[in-house]
Amino acid sequence: MVKIKKTELNEFIEFLMKDYDVYSPADVGKKAAFKKIKSAFEIKHAITNTHLSPKDVFFPQSEVLFQYSDDGLKVPKREEKAIAVWGMRNCDTSSLLMLNKVFGDAHQMPDKDMYKDPYWKMKYDNCLIFNQACNEPLSTCFCNWFEGNPFAKKGADIFVVDTGDHFILEGISDKGKTFLSKYKAGEETTKVDLNKIAKLKETAESYLPDVVDIKPLFNKMNKIWDEPIWEEISAKCINCGACTFVCPTCHCFDVSDEGKGKKGQRIRLWDSCMFQIFTREASGHNPRGLSTQRVRQRIMHKYNYFMDNYEQYLCTGCGRCVQVCPVNLDIREVIKKVLDYKLSKNEEI
Amino acid sequence: MCNCDNTYIPIPMKVEKIVIDNPDRSLRTYDLSFVNEEDENKFKYMPGQFCEFSILGKGESPFGIASSPTEEGLKFTVSRTGSVTNEIHYLEEGDIVGIRGPMGNWYPLEKLKGQDVVIVGGGFAFTTLRSMIVYMLENRDDYGKITVIYGARHPDLFIYKEELKIWDKRDDIILHLTVDKPVKGWDKLCGFVPAITKDVKPDPTSWCIVCGPPIMIKFTLPVLLEIGFAHDKIYTSLERRMKCGIGKCGRCGIGSKYVCIDGPVFSYEELKKIPDAF
Amino acid sequence: MQQLVKKVKEIIKNKEVDVVIGWGRGSLPFSATPIFVETEKDVEKLIFDETCRNNLTTYLTKDKRRISKEYKKIGIIVKGCDSRSVVLYTVENQIKRENVVLIGVPCNGVFEKKKLSQLVEGKEILDFQIDVDNIIIKGRNFEQTHPLKDALCDPCLTCQYPDAPEYDYFIGTPRKDVNVPDAYKMINDFGEKSAEERWAYIQEEYSKCIRCYACRNICPSCYCPECFVDQNDPQWIGKTPEVTDSIIFHLIRNLHVAGRCVDCGACVSACPVDLDLRIMSKKVEKEIKERFDYTAGTDINEKPAMASYCENEKQDFIMG
Ligand SMILES: Cc1cc2nc3c(=O)[nH]c(=O)nc-3n(C[C@H](O)[C@H](O)[C@H](O)COP(=O)(O)OP(=O)(O)OC[C@H]3O[C@@H](n4cnc5c(N)ncnc54)[C@H](O)[C@@H]3O)c2cc1C
Ligand code: SF4
Ligand code: SF4
Ligand code: SF4
Ligand code: SF4
Ligand code: SF4
Ligand code: SF4
Ligand code: FES
Repeated sequence: MVKIKKTELNEFIEFLMKDYDVYSPADVGKKAAFKKIKSAFEIKHAITNTHLSPKDVFFPQSEVLFQYSDDGLKVPKREEKAIAVWGMRNCDTSSLLMLNKVFGDAHQMPDKDMYKDPYWKMKYDNCLIFNQACNEPLSTCFCNWFEGNPFAKKGADIFVVDTGDHFILEGISDKGKTFLSKYKAGEETTKVDLNKIAKLKETAESYLPDVVDIKPLFNKMNKIWDEPIWEEISAKCINCGACTFVCPTCHCFDVSDEGKGKKGQRIRLWDSCMFQIFTREASGHNPRGLSTQRVRQRIMHKYNYFMDNYEQYLCTGCGRCVQVCPVNLDIREVIKKVLDYKLSKNEEI
Repeated sequence: MCNCDNTYIPIPMKVEKIVIDNPDRSLRTYDLSFVNEEDENKFKYMPGQFCEFSILGKGESPFGIASSPTEEGLKFTVSRTGSVTNEIHYLEEGDIVGIRGPMGNWYPLEKLKGQDVVIVGGGFAFTTLRSMIVYMLENRDDYGKITVIYGARHPDLFIYKEELKIWDKRDDIILHLTVDKPVKGWDKLCGFVPAITKDVKPDPTSWCIVCGPPIMIKFTLPVLLEIGFAHDKIYTSLERRMKCGIGKCGRCGIGSKYVCIDGPVFSYEELKKIPDAF
Repeated sequence: MQQLVKKVKEIIKNKEVDVVIGWGRGSLPFSATPIFVETEKDVEKLIFDETCRNNLTTYLTKDKRRISKEYKKIGIIVKGCDSRSVVLYTVENQIKRENVVLIGVPCNGVFEKKKLSQLVEGKEILDFQIDVDNIIIKGRNFEQTHPLKDALCDPCLTCQYPDAPEYDYFIGTPRKDVNVPDAYKMINDFGEKSAEERWAYIQEEYSKCIRCYACRNICPSCYCPECFVDQNDPQWIGKTPEVTDSIIFHLIRNLHVAGRCVDCGACVSACPVDLDLRIMSKKVEKEIKERFDYTAGTDINEKPAMASYCENEKQDFIMG
C-alpha cells in the first residue's frame, strides 16, 4: 500500500501522466463528468457519483469509425499512451466489466475475433482503473443489491481510500501492483490507517439501503412478459431516454454518416431503446412502437436478457437513472414491484 | 493495440451488372465483384447470411445475400424504400460500393442433407431462398425432393424471372408459382401463399423454409403446423432494423437474442420461446 | 389539500371522469411523481405542493395520446402553465376541450431541483422544510436556510398566470394580484452583452447538450408524431453532440414552439446536463409578445400566433 498526502497528489498524478492519459471526475459545465485532465487540481473530489457515467471514456457519445475520401478509408488512431481513470466508484468499475463482455470479449460467439470491437479494445485494453472507495454513498445508491459495496475492489487495478488528509492506494491487479511499486515517493501505511479504513467502510455501509434479494428477479421476469404490470410501470414514462444516456451500462448506438460529396466520416452515437425510432423499419412497421413495449425492453434487458447472455444483471445500482428521471420512474421501485407482483395466471415461481 | 479485424470497415466491391426486376423499377438486382483478391479469399459465406451494404455519406443497410457460394461474386436484390436504398438505386455499373459481412447464421444445410426440402417464399424476400436453391441444385445429390412455393402480388413482381423459367423446366425441382389475383396471360397458380401451401400439401416429414413479408409468415406457419410439420423442421428468416450487424448496437434485439448474430435464421421451435418474435 | 382530495373523489365517484392525472409523493426528496388515479381509494395519494414540478398535460399528446384513447374523460390537475398547455391543445385541435376536466390549483411556484442542488454546492439533499419565505435544506451533515425564491424554477419567478386561466373547478384561493418583476429582465440583460460574449455563452451552454431529447420529449408543446430531428430522408440536421449541430437542433425546436411555449420550464428541469434552455425560449417568447402581442395558451378563443408546424411537415421555413 502507498500513502499519499492530499497536498502531494499532483506529484503522483504527474508521475501517472508519464505513461497514461489521465481521466477523472471534473466539472463539465454545472455538472460533474469524467474528462481528460491536465493536472490534479482539476480533479473533483467531493463527488460520489458523477452525473454522467465514465462509460464515455471508453465508449464516447460520438466516435468516428472511419473517415472517407478519394484516398480511401482511414481509421483514426489513438495516441500512444494508455488510459488511466482516477476516481471511479465500484459501481462504475463493475459497469466496465459488463461493457467489456459486450465489446471486448464477445464470449458467446464462436468466431470471436469478428465480434470484438476494436474501438473499445484500443482504449480499454491496457487501461489502469483507480477505484475509489465511497465514504459517502448517496441516498440513491443501491449497489449492495448487486453484490456491490462502496468499498468493493472487484475490477480495480488500484484501490483508493480517501482518509481525510491522505489517499491510501492498494495495488489489486498485477498491472496495478506493478505500477504502484514504481512510485517511490509515498509514505508507509500504519495500523492507524487500516483502522481508519475499516471505520470508514462501516460508516459507508450504514448509509446503504436494506438489501433486496434480486436473485428471483430473473425467473420472475420470464413469467411476466404478457402481464398488465408493464402498463402500470410504464404509464408515466415519457420515453425521454435520459435514464439510458446516464446509465453506465447502457450501450446501444446508432451509426450515421456525415459529410459532403466524397469526403466525410462514419460515426457512431449513443442511442436508446426508449426512442420510438430506434426499431422502426423502413416499411413503417415497428416492433416496439408503444411506450410500454420500450419500457419493458429496458427493464427486461437489464434484469433478464443480459443475464441470459452473460450470466449477470445489466445494472450496478449506481442510481443515476433514479436521479435523472424527470417523472421519478424509480427503477428500485420497479424491481420491488416486479418481485412483489402476483401473477394473474397463478403460476408457480 | 487491438489486432483483431475491424468489422466496421467495409470492403470495396465493384458493381458488375444491374438488372431492373420489375416494371415500376422498385426492385433492382446487383451483381458485385471483389476488388481485392484477399477480400475474396476471406469472404466465406452460406445461404441465408446477409451483408451490410454501404453507401458512403448515406449509411448502411442490411441485405440478404442472393447469390450462392457456388457462384462468383455477390448478388443482392434491393427494394427501394428509404434513404440508403434510394441511393443504391442510383448506382451505375462500374461504381464501387462497400460491403461488410457475411453476417448472421444460415439455413441448416447440414441438417437438410438427404432430406426432402420445401421452400415457401413471398415477394422480394426470395433473395436468400434463391441462394439456397442454387446451392442445393449445385449439390443436387445431397438433397431429396425439392419443392418451391413462390408467390407475388403480380406476375411482374417475381424476381429472378429468367431463372424461374429454367427451374420450371427442370424435373429435379418442383416449382409452384402463384399470384394474388388472376391476371391475363398468367397460366400458373392463383391465390395467397398460405392457401396454395394448403393445396400443395407438402409432405410433412420434409424440412421447410419460409421467407417473406411478416403477414405471409404469420398465416403460413399455422398451415404448416396443421399439415403436420415438426416445429424444429420449420425455419424462417427474420427482419429487424439493424445497424452494427455484430450484436452490439442493440437495435435488432428480440428477447435475449439478436437477429443479426443469433439469426436471421431461426427455427419455429426457437421462435416459440421468444416473446416478441412476430 | 383536503379540498382537492374531496373534489377529485367527487368527480370520480359521479363518473364525471374516468381517470385523474395528478401528482403523488415521489421517491426522492423534492420529487413528486405523476399518478393516474382511477379509484376513490387512490385519491388519497394525491398531493399538491412546491415539488409538483411536472406539466402533466404532456400525457395528453404524443405517444401518450394513447391515454386519450384509453379514457373518454380525463381529469387533470393543473397549475397556471399546465392549464395554458390545455388551451394550446384546444386551439391547435389536439384535444376536445369537453373531454378534459381541469382542476385548477393556485401555484406558489415549484422547486427547481437543480437550483436547490446549487444552493448547497451539490451536496446531497435529504429533507427540507418551508418556513414562510425561507427554505431549510437538510443533508447528512448540514442544514442550511435560504430564501424560498432562490429554490424556485426561473419561470415561476416571473409567472403572470399562477392561477389556471382555464379550468372547470378551482381549488383554493386564487392568487390573482401577482406582482411580477420584469419577465424579460434576463433576456434584456443578456441583450446588453456584446455579440461575442453572447455567442460565447451560447456556444458554451449548447456544447453541453448530449442530444438525449429529454427536453423535447417532456415538452407539452412538442407533440409532432415525427420530430424533424428523427427524419432521415431528408436528414435535416446532424445527429452528433457537436455544438453546431446542437445549436441548430435547439434553434429549430425553438422555432417550432415559437408562440406555443407556455414557459412551464419542464424542458429545463428534464435536461440531464442543466443546459440554459430558457435563454432561447424566453427570447422567442419576447419577440412574439412584442410583435404580435400574443401569449401562448391564455385565450381559448384566440387563433395561435403561428400556425402549428406539425400539421404540415417539412416546412420550407427551415430553409428560408
Ligand atoms: C437480415 C436482413 C435481410 C434483408 N434483406 C433484404 C433484401 O434482400 N432486399 C431488400 O430489399 N431488403 C432487405 N432487407 C430490408 C432492408 O434492410 C431495409 O429495407 C433497408 O435497410 C431500408 O433502408 P433505407 O435506408 O432505404 O430506409 P430508411 O427508412 O431510410 O432507414 C434508415 C436506416 O434504418 C435501418 N432500417 C430501416 N428499415 C430496416 C429493415 N427493415 N431492416 C433492417 N434495417 C432497417 C437501416 O439501417 C437504414 O439505413 C433486409 C433486412 C434484414 C434485417
Ligand atoms: S452505488 Fe455503491 S459503489 Fe456506486 S457510488 Fe454508490 S456506494 Fe459507491
Ligand atoms: S439502470 Fe440505473 S441504477 Fe442501474 S446501472 Fe443504469 S443508471 Fe445505474
Ligand atoms: S436496450 Fe435499452 S436498456 Fe438495454 S443497453 Fe440498450 S438502451 Fe440500455
Ligand atoms: S428517464 Fe424516466 S421518463 Fe425518461 S425514459 Fe427513462 S424512465 Fe422514462
Ligand atoms: S419549451 Fe420548455 S418551457 Fe416551453 S412549453 Fe416546452 S417544456 Fe415548457
Ligand atoms: S435535455 Fe438537455 S442534453 Fe438532452 S437534448 Fe435537451 S438540451 Fe440536450
Ligand atoms: S444490428 Fe446491432 S445488435 Fe444487431
